[in-house]
Amino acid sequence: MGDHCGNIYQLRPVSIIRALPQIKDHRLFQLKLEDGTTWESFGHQPGQFIEVSIFGKGEAPISISSPPTRSDTLEICVRRTGRVTDALFEMGKGSTFHIRGPYGRGFPVDLLKGKKLLLIAGGLGLAPLRSLLLYSLDKRKDFDDIILMYGTNNPDNVLFKYELLSFFDRDDINYLYSVDRDDEGIWKQYVGVVTGLFDRTDLSPAETYAVMCGPPVMYRFVLQKLLKLGFAKEHIFMSLERMMKCGVGKCGHCAFGDKYCCIEGPVFPYPEIENIKEAI
Amino acid sequence: MEKRLIKKDALAGIAKKMADDFLVWAPVKKEDNVLFAPLGRNDEPFFSYLNSKNAPKNVFFPHTETMMKYTRTEKGMTFSAEVNKAEQSVLFGVRPCDAHSFVLLDKLFDQEKYKDGYYIAKRKNTTVISLACATPPYTSCFCTSVDGEPVSSDGADILLTDIGGDYLVEFVTPKGEALAKYFGETKADAQAESKKAEIAAKAKEAVKSKIPAHEVKPILDVNFDNPFWNTIHGKCLACGTCTYLCPTCHCFDISDEVKGSDGVRIRSWDSCMFPLFTKETSGHNPRPSQKERWRQRTMHKFKYYVDMFNAISCVGCGRCVMYCPVNIDIRKIVQDISKL
Repeated sequence: MGDHCGNIYQLRPVSIIRALPQIKDHRLFQLKLEDGTTWESFGHQPGQFIEVSIFGKGEAPISISSPPTRSDTLEICVRRTGRVTDALFEMGKGSTFHIRGPYGRGFPVDLLKGKKLLLIAGGLGLAPLRSLLLYSLDKRKDFDDIILMYGTNNPDNVLFKYELLSFFDRDDINYLYSVDRDDEGIWKQYVGVVTGLFDRTDLSPAETYAVMCGPPVMYRFVLQKLLKLGFAKEHIFMSLERMMKCGVGKCGHCAFGDKYCCIEGPVFPYPEIENIKEAI
Repeated sequence: MEKRLIKKDALAGIAKKMADDFLVWAPVKKEDNVLFAPLGRNDEPFFSYLNSKNAPKNVFFPHTETMMKYTRTEKGMTFSAEVNKAEQSVLFGVRPCDAHSFVLLDKLFDQEKYKDGYYIAKRKNTTVISLACATPPYTSCFCTSVDGEPVSSDGADILLTDIGGDYLVEFVTPKGEALAKYFGETKADAQAESKKAEIAAKAKEAVKSKIPAHEVKPILDVNFDNPFWNTIHGKCLACGTCTYLCPTCHCFDISDEVKGSDGVRIRSWDSCMFPLFTKETSGHNPRPSQKERWRQRTMHKFKYYVDMFNAISCVGCGRCVMYCPVNIDIRKIVQDISKL
């Protein structure tokens, strides 16, 4: 046993620079460290998460939405859905709370360099994927083609709307999006589940790495599609959601098979979880 | 290392003498139960017990533990982590199966990369004194099936074995040896040692309940979807008794408690038997029914822990067998799995 074990549950104070409304019950919080250190030294990787810690309310695992290439702030996109996020939504500019992290294994950015990227996001699954998306756009020369497929349940629920719209002006990213339903008939793009987007673009599966994050039901169908198109299993990465309480592989809530999602994930290469039935 | 002999009736006195100098956890009678509890000035330790109702894991991993304290002040929140703090303690008279559980818990809490300062500090500052089972206490004991023995120093710093009129005192680690002064001056002779070996062999023989714990790992590897999993959980009440009494169960929840402007963040035992254990905020639950929860508990003990740490996460104490209100028996489950 080490004589000087640090504290793996160490909290760091942050303040809110801006709280930007997204869609109903979703907000993007831009954070600043209040302990005199920088986000650079925080050292997060795309795909990692933090525990948001609010005294009196508790803690909640939230994925990091901003890339390490933009170290002036750390962004988290939060859905208001429980005690901790309720409290967070009551806070405004300048309010302080605590975080701990960064935790977990993020996207394999070094492996992805030089490769074609296919990012597939469903709903709030865009929040963690955005860290990789912006990272690859900030280091655009390091990557080959970038394709983003993003599906939401209806046109009102598109996150990061203006940011995404700006992608239509760029010729270095191919952006496709879908909505499951369009009751009002206002959607000019594809209507249907996100897998329908696969038929609307040319992919070169042999050279492409697919990265996905979305609601549980999405994984099965997207996986089927990818494998059918001839994607190698090793080229498929998925960010999984679990109830991650401690973030450091102890409390047991996020465990499936012999994996702790919080330390060995949340991003897994498909072959690592292929044979763990409970994973997806 | 050194071995000594003490008179049998001297044991309680030694524990009480230690309690003058340290925090001593010892078995004490509380109503109908024997529990490990801090030995107070007027408490009498109860060493002729079979086994304690609670597993002594609460010494290192308390049922409810303060992780940090905080206060709301005019200038904002101030807080202090309660980590890496522990009083010098002695855990006096645990059964070898329970001492074995500490070795298993160390693997998780004292991992190379993620060291849990709350657990480690208490573990480091506590000397474990095991009290061997000269006679296996219950018919439901099955320690010999899960890498344990009724007379074993595994996980202990000092081992006490009843060899008739005396206890043989074996100092197993330097930490144990540091307490040698409490155990008199009588050196153990060769006769005492051979008597102990004889008792150990007999005790091992006397553990009649056996399960094929090592055989089921390869079977569990390929039977996640076996219909067998439909057969266990039907009568389970999801009460969590098995996990709370289990010496190796280590899952916990983290929550806050506030009173006025003061608050604490606590961690408290949680249980994979509870429906909410895995439920995500979105409403999605990866283990939606008691069937999946029982599969998880069984797999975790006999497959996943083996995959992760090369050790079965069960010490054969039999508490879950004895106290399950609906008589779900892990021994039968393992037996049944071995026949799949």
